[in-house]
Amino acid sequence: MKTIKESARETRVAREADVVVVGGGPGGIGAAVSAARNGVDTVLIERYGYLGGMGTGGLVTIIPQLTDYTGKQQIVGLTQEWIDRLIARNAVDYPKKEHWGSLDKELVRYYFQRSFFMTRLDRVVYAAIISAEISKVILNDMVEEAGVKTYCHAWGTEPIMEGNHCKGVIIESKSGRQAILGKVVIDSTGDGDLFPYAGIEFEDNIPPNFRIANLALCFWVDGVDLKKAMDFRMNNPKEFMELNRKAMEAGGQGGFMPSNLPDQDAVVWFHNRFPNKSQVDVEELTRVEFEGRKKMIKTYEFFKENMPGFEKSFIVLSSPQLGTRSSRRMIGEYQLTQKDLANNQPFKDTIAILPDLDRGQESLDHPNMYIPYRCLLPKNVDNFLVACRAFSSDMHVQDNFNLIPHCIAFGEAAGTASAMALQAGVGVKNVDIKALQKQLAKQGVPLPDVNKKVDYKYTGPALVSSAFTPPH
Amino acid sequence: MSAKPSVGTITEPARQIRVCREADVVVVGGGPGGVGSAIAAARSGAKTVLIERYGHLGGMASGGLVNIIPNLSDISGKQHTYGLTLELLNRLDKRGGTSYPEKKDWGTADRKTVDYYLDANLGWFYVREDQNTGKQRVLYSAVVDPEILKGELNDMVLEAGVDLILHSWGTQVVKEGNTVNGVFFESKSGRQAILGKVVIDATGDGDMFVAAGAEYDNECDNKRRTAWLALVFWMANVNIRKYDSFKAEQPEKYKELMQELTKLGGYPVFFKGILKNQENVVWYHCMQPQPERTDAMDVEQLTKIDIQARKRALITYEFMRKHVPGFEKCFIMLTAPQLGTQGGRRITGEYTVSEKDLETDEIFEDTIAVLANNDYGEISARHPTLCIPYRCLVPKQVDGLLVAGRAFSSADTINEAFNIIPHCIAYGQAAGTAAAMSVKGGIQPRKVDYKELRKNLVKQGVNLPEIGESRAVEAPPAPERDKSDYYQKYR
Repeated sequence: MKTIKESARETRVAREADVVVVGGGPGGIGAAVSAARNGVDTVLIERYGYLGGMGTGGLVTIIPQLTDYTGKQQIVGLTQEWIDRLIARNAVDYPKKEHWGSLDKELVRYYFQRSFFMTRLDRVVYAAIISAEISKVILNDMVEEAGVKTYCHAWGTEPIMEGNHCKGVIIESKSGRQAILGKVVIDSTGDGDLFPYAGIEFEDNIPPNFRIANLALCFWVDGVDLKKAMDFRMNNPKEFMELNRKAMEAGGQGGFMPSNLPDQDAVVWFHNRFPNKSQVDVEELTRVEFEGRKKMIKTYEFFKENMPGFEKSFIVLSSPQLGTRSSRRMIGEYQLTQKDLANNQPFKDTIAILPDLDRGQESLDHPNMYIPYRCLLPKNVDNFLVACRAFSSDMHVQDNFNLIPHCIAFGEAAGTASAMALQAGVGVKNVDIKALQKQLAKQGVPLPDVNKKVDYKYTGPALVSSAFTPPH
Repeated sequence: MSAKPSVGTITEPARQIRVCREADVVVVGGGPGGVGSAIAAARSGAKTVLIERYGHLGGMASGGLVNIIPNLSDISGKQHTYGLTLELLNRLDKRGGTSYPEKKDWGTADRKTVDYYLDANLGWFYVREDQNTGKQRVLYSAVVDPEILKGELNDMVLEAGVDLILHSWGTQVVKEGNTVNGVFFESKSGRQAILGKVVIDATGDGDMFVAAGAEYDNECDNKRRTAWLALVFWMANVNIRKYDSFKAEQPEKYKELMQELTKLGGYPVFFKGILKNQENVVWYHCMQPQPERTDAMDVEQLTKIDIQARKRALITYEFMRKHVPGFEKCFIMLTAPQLGTQGGRRITGEYTVSEKDLETDEIFEDTIAVLANNDYGEISARHPTLCIPYRCLVPKQVDGLLVAGRAFSSADTINEAFNIIPHCIAYGQAAGTAAAMSVKGGIQPRKVDYKELRKNLVKQGVNLPEIGESRAVEAPPAPERDKSDYYQKYR
């Protein structure tokens, strides 16, 4: 490998803070808002001009899996606050509360047609489809009201290390290279960008048949006569399938989802998958960006020419950020693995309950996943937390529990813990777990009674449909 | 607790950085200037690498939603911009990805036609008032579909054989003595370096020449467009005809509403119709006026403006929806992924184009572009074009570096009107061609033979005047002017 020497340099310190959060996606927002609300001076660094990560810039405008199969909401806290603010602006779509968990066939069919994300395990589940643009403003409001100092258009590139201690991070922006110092650093980059430099152990093996082995380049199409398109799909299912097949043959993609948001009557959403070798290899990111765009134009041109209802359609936007699904995963103080998926017992240091909905009968037998605080803690750095999909997990856990609401939950715990640790004058590894759980509960996070043994057995009706096929 | 700004520094130790490419020409920034540079360099036979911060090419034209390529003709309808801009427009046309006035209408003062373009599509960009006659005339300006543009630009750079790396932010230069010979960049792969014989700074903001320690100018008073930032957004599902009739039938009520909206902090002005296939979409180009000069390079200011603009977009959306007929069912379709930067640092080059050059009609011996001059009212009427010399792309002090894009060597008076998309493409085409010649000849970019460069550009379809040709328009002598006459005129 050829290298070139970069000389030593003096880098300007732009700011000193208590907590520095790198990355303004769901994990970073959770972390920054929670840290600041708990009274510490917090800086949030975001590469793009808006917050929300995949939920906004990635056009993955969906916050799914908020209830378990029984219809009980397990993810509340900041996620629900985001949704509540969207409700106030009429910018969200979700199943009615009284329908969560319902097994009613008509209702399940209705919601399945409305969105792929609104049903699982023969039941209606609580999933929210969100407006990306309104969300960007809401998230700005949330961090601003909490008193977070945000840097947009700034890329947190490296940690500043001193032995096992992370003193802050280097940022690149139009202001040139600068440093931000902090007492606790939270990696919410999604990809664990700080791990290699901080010497934090991680793994990144992902089998090609996993969901997380794919990148996405989502796009929206407007100007669709959706009634015409849906009628065609309903009345001519064979021709509809045939057209989708032909779209794929022509190098495009088949299948689209209606927006469902208020007044977006002519908007559909194309969500796709592009297999790749690595989501942190810039060459791979470039390749997929090209492939994705080519495919998008082919899809658009094919639909416009052939699909009833798309005659006057136009691409309104391709996602500004590639849809990344997974890359580096920390090997932290505790690593959640496949065997934890088969366990119904909460951890002593549980900081979140995540509904398990994507694994068929397995999910019915193990309806919730408990997340221990330790899987946000690296082994070898003492003032560092991970609050994003790079949390300590093997590929099986990662494949199921790295979505938007999950990352917000990790962030909420990490941000709260760092504030409490600083106020108590202890390291984040020595934070009082009971006090942390009490505080999270106060913030509206549902948590289990960690002292009670769970004796659980599924007794409901046998499973009929799978997640990916329509209900019978 | 409040955050404490700090002025201290930390020491970053020396380190070895992986070299991921060695090329002839390295272009930093994939906006109009960078795309022009990379395509021209690669087509001229240089091994070319292009790095771009975002996942798409096109800069302001795509990611900034400033999807307008204006001023391709002067006010008489005579086309001046050809080259890569025209090639791009022809390709977009094949995909239905551009709208522009029909050729027969360029320069027309026919009232019906002028009104049609004023109403149809981004009004002002299609029409200017001819100061010689006092009549409005139609220009050749094109509006492009940003998404189709992204796809087409990808195809063009790839077909040219450019090695493109997206999601990569060029941050520092590799420099030996006074010569730049590569760049450091950041990406998800960590910090890496690309070495090159010529580096082209197409960052728009001169990020590379600042890193190289070159002399530059960032003087720009806050009355200029270039001193402002903008966040563009699109509103969809608007019933424009309903809005039109409301405005026509109740002009007083409309005026009142817009005053109220302004008071609330919203934006009263929008443009109808972006493209012919986007009937129900309107375009808000939200300039953020600054009390003082904006530095588009200050990350704190960029953050503040982004947050402010988003709030104002939401106020506008909610107000229009509630009060203005035709907007009842509108929604914000998207805000620009990139903040609209309009000006900033400008290299101090071997030649600095200034307002004087607007008056002299000089055809420089190193002219690499001739640009329609439509935005200076009476001055434009006398001087319908401006020539741009190659020397304003060449830094005065630093070797191995060229500047392509709005950071070309120019006074703020000139930069205001000649730093937009077709101009940047033209600067890029010249810089890329010159860089390839410099590599081939084993000479510094500043030593490139002007005649040869011009010959190559003409071969590529660039429109250049003959040296010695006169461009002056018959008119009485110009009045005495001072600097304040040189502001872009919005009509």
